[in-house]
Amino acid sequence: MTSRRNFLKLGAVAATATAAITGTGALTWAKENRIKGGRDYSPTTGKARKAIPSACWQCVSRCPIIGFIEEGRLVKVEGQPNSIRTDGKVCAKAHAGPNQVYDPDRILYPMRRVGKRGEGKWKRVSWDDALTEVAGRLKKLRDDGQPEKFMFHYGRMKASSSKLVGMFLANYGTGTIGNHTSICEGAKWTGQELTWGKHYDNWDFDHTKYVLNLGSNLLEAHTNHTSEAQRLVKALADRRIKMVTFDVRLSNTAAKSTEWVPVKPGTDIAVLLAMSNVVMNEGLYQGEGEAFLSFCRATPNVNASTADKVAALKAHLASYTPEWAEKISGVAADKIRTIAREFATTKPAVLVTYRGLVAHYYGPEGERAAQMLAAITGNIDNPGGRCKAVGAKWKFPSGPKDKPTAKKLKIVDGFKGQAKLPTHHINHQIFNVIKDGSLGRPDVYMWYCYAPVYSNGDCKANAAVMKDETLIPYSVCINPFYDESAALADIILPDATYLERWDWEDMVSPNQVPEHYIRQPLVKPLGEARNFGDVVCDLAERMGFPLGIKNMEDFVEKSCEMTPGVKEAGGFEYMKTHGVWHDPKAKPSYYGYAKPVKAADLAKDGVILDEATSTYWNWKKAKVKTVEDAKAKGYAHTKDAYKTYIGQKIGDKVYKGFKPDKVNKTGYFELYSTVMEDNGFAPMPTYKAIPEHVAMKPDDMILTTFKVNVQTHSRTQNCKWLTEIYHDNPAWINPASAEARNIKEGDRIRVASGIGHIETTARVTPAVAPGVIAIAMHCGHWEYGRYASGKKSPFVKEDIVHDKQMWWKSHGEHPNWIIPNDPDPISGQQRWMDTVVNVSKSVSA
Amino acid sequence: MSDVEISTTVKRRDFLNGIATAAAVGAGAAIMPKPAQAAVTGLKPHYGMLIDLRRCIGCHACSVSCKAEFDVPLGATRSWVEYVEKGDYPDVSRSFLPRLCNQCSKPACVDVCPTGATWKRKADGVVVVDSDVCIGCKYCLLACPYDARFINPVTGSADKCDFCLHRVEKGLEPACVNACIGDARIFGDLNDPSSKISREIATNPVTVLRPEQGTEPNVYYIAADHSDEYTAAAQGRYVRIDTHRRQQERK
Repeated sequence: MTSRRNFLKLGAVAATATAAITGTGALTWAKENRIKGGRDYSPTTGKARKAIPSACWQCVSRCPIIGFIEEGRLVKVEGQPNSIRTDGKVCAKAHAGPNQVYDPDRILYPMRRVGKRGEGKWKRVSWDDALTEVAGRLKKLRDDGQPEKFMFHYGRMKASSSKLVGMFLANYGTGTIGNHTSICEGAKWTGQELTWGKHYDNWDFDHTKYVLNLGSNLLEAHTNHTSEAQRLVKALADRRIKMVTFDVRLSNTAAKSTEWVPVKPGTDIAVLLAMSNVVMNEGLYQGEGEAFLSFCRATPNVNASTADKVAALKAHLASYTPEWAEKISGVAADKIRTIAREFATTKPAVLVTYRGLVAHYYGPEGERAAQMLAAITGNIDNPGGRCKAVGAKWKFPSGPKDKPTAKKLKIVDGFKGQAKLPTHHINHQIFNVIKDGSLGRPDVYMWYCYAPVYSNGDCKANAAVMKDETLIPYSVCINPFYDESAALADIILPDATYLERWDWEDMVSPNQVPEHYIRQPLVKPLGEARNFGDVVCDLAERMGFPLGIKNMEDFVEKSCEMTPGVKEAGGFEYMKTHGVWHDPKAKPSYYGYAKPVKAADLAKDGVILDEATSTYWNWKKAKVKTVEDAKAKGYAHTKDAYKTYIGQKIGDKVYKGFKPDKVNKTGYFELYSTVMEDNGFAPMPTYKAIPEHVAMKPDDMILTTFKVNVQTHSRTQNCKWLTEIYHDNPAWINPASAEARNIKEGDRIRVASGIGHIETTARVTPAVAPGVIAIAMHCGHWEYGRYASGKKSPFVKEDIVHDKQMWWKSHGEHPNWIIPNDPDPISGQQRWMDTVVNVSKSVSA
Repeated sequence: MSDVEISTTVKRRDFLNGIATAAAVGAGAAIMPKPAQAAVTGLKPHYGMLIDLRRCIGCHACSVSCKAEFDVPLGATRSWVEYVEKGDYPDVSRSFLPRLCNQCSKPACVDVCPTGATWKRKADGVVVVDSDVCIGCKYCLLACPYDARFINPVTGSADKCDFCLHRVEKGLEPACVNACIGDARIFGDLNDPSSKISREIATNPVTVLRPEQGTEPNVYYIAADHSDEYTAAAQGRYVRIDTHRRQQERK
């Protein structure tokens, strides 16, 4: 190895040599045009590090990356400079990727429990033994005609993993499939499905002139984080646009905003409704907003005139005055008026929302109110506004033709009546439902990309059910790491980390142009870790229903060779070399709703106009027996009719409109929802006070949670470079609230809810509203390895260098112990931000 | 920890005057920043960095990319980001201050080194450490007013940021610059008046850290908040500095 001294002294010589080899001339680098990433060199030897394009998966943003290999080891990850989504930028979490691969507490071999469940005693088994056992269990259920007793529960399983694993589940025949969206932002998606159909909003920061943000911390955490964050900060710095953030806490996003407006938790919706009141009463909807109203439904009559719609909106919003909102939210009426006027008169403007708005009782109403304000100001799916998401559309092998009809246990939507429109399910209730047993119980519970014990509320209850063999007879964990849930498994199948595997990817583009990209192994999986995509192919084979796919690499290769554009660019070989592909001729997608439907599509077999809604749909595809039956029942009341939607008749034209998803809404942008009405809710966005907040005692506080920029919710705390920066999560409390409780900076405090209490440390700061206690997620792991919890996994026998370097002793406290799993009555969203707590100085301190 | 961090705003006028003065009297006589002097000498490159905090979101991409680039041991930091939170509710602000070695023109660390293991390179102005010569005496750690140095537990030598010389010499930007999400960091040649960094310094109010130390830093900031929590505490104002590194107090 070249010594550091030699390198430093030979620096100039080495540079000259490089110049000679590349022929670019030594002066080039001395001047301005430095290479923007994609290359890296060892600081000790000066040798080039091998660069391989791939994709991150620390969070769901899944940014394209370049991995750098030195002597067979992954040493560094950076952004893919050719990505149009990220422009070569990735966040701190992505840069810490190598920590995932070389986590000293990783699970490298299949492990079978040998002690009692949860006792922490394990025995290494071969893959053949492990899969023989799992396949045996599953095959028996399938052969017995009970495939639904196999429950598969996933978290952030996306793109090709979702498709290939989905193919396995479909061919196996179970529909008992759980997800995690209700603990994420399900209410936001339900709110969107009720208004504009398929969920996900892209904020077009490249073109906007004003940003109004309610409850999103997108500069620290977001489902499309780096892509959006870099565009927002550039819009703020380069174009000097104004941004106003409503939040109970001064997040970094609020701090970078032109103005932070503190708001009482759960009352942002009142502010939004009052802003819409101002817009309507002051005529600020005129212009773009009024024009957009022709694509909106605002009355029971779908053919209402714009004047009728304006009148209906004014009538609905009449009582939602800024003065009314001030009493509820604590935001001054004048402030609401000013910001409403700015938002409505600065064109284009973008309305940003996330969990701060929706993780509440009646959460979807917040999103619907946001959609209303964006709509009446003409800021929907326009350059610079709130746009319909655009992501890559891959073609992929569909697997065997003959699939069994899936059977399922009705256990993923909570108990009857808990929520009327759980369009993304209610999986935080799964353990309650299993414990209850009246809706059935799975025999096999398998989970993947998911941390059920830690990530849901009420950790104690989750762990109790997971541990109980009478409730869950057999449990299978697929995970590269030993987390709190893996500790309660019967068998652990070691997954490859995202840096050791294949996938194709498709995350939303911030610039409305889709980008195709792939994930490929940067290094071979350590130990015997295997991509779960490969494992399902193996399992299917063992159970006698081969998928016709060898493994994930095969699936990705076939997908590359059949996806238009990717295929012509060079298919799999091209993608392996370049990592990313987009159509250079593609134009950004806006105003998709205003495209006309082709006459030929209306003339297709089974397509009829539903008179009540002016919606074209296909009664045959909706599996209605006769056209008469279809007409009698109508589009709105035929099960899953939305899946056959063709277009929306508006005046004498038929438009693509806002295509419905999950519910039978019309093709209008629905400010008035008959779906809501049919389910016993108000048809237009309506404020409902949070019952627990109404019943608060004077001493009570409201608990809110949040994310920081260097951690994901639960799955990055094993990364030493991240956890070194953020490993402790003291509770933020306003000086006034602290003084009233005789709490001082650094004091140990007790935070108690209806289901328990935690002890943590006080961070007395004016960066949080009085009456609110804010505790970050991420911390308080009691497993997940030494960096996260201070506790090694059972699979590490000897001490290694990592121990000596780890200097932090505190691992923080996990707030979920005291947050109940409590669904919003519309969507079933977990009400993360509604918990009422009592805060006092710790007695033990 | 009673040192007070104060700011000096280098105004455009001063900067231009600096050039004028330097041009009139020759190199070495300029009273104001190094770039002005350098611009006239027209000699070898003199690398510097400008961090525009209007574009910084405090995301730590720089900190972690640096960790990876050099496999920096836990507990040590070549590059880090401090948060400055201040004010009274609801008028509260939080700003970010990315930190790294200032590659000073008058480096205090070099002056105290008993072995000559650390020096400022004539070729580009970067202050480097030779781990083979360093005896780990820590004089430089104490001398540095910016707490930018550490003893690397692997080599036993003093260590710190070197502007990623191994990348710069191959035509790349330093890792932190490449990683910066908001493109807040500009790396370049302060000797070249037409370089982006020189132009930005010439056209914006910029500051350096602790100018009273006389070290003449070559890391400049736009819109930095130099608030100090000790001064603020003495005045009864709330200022909180989070260093996000093992040294929780800022030197």
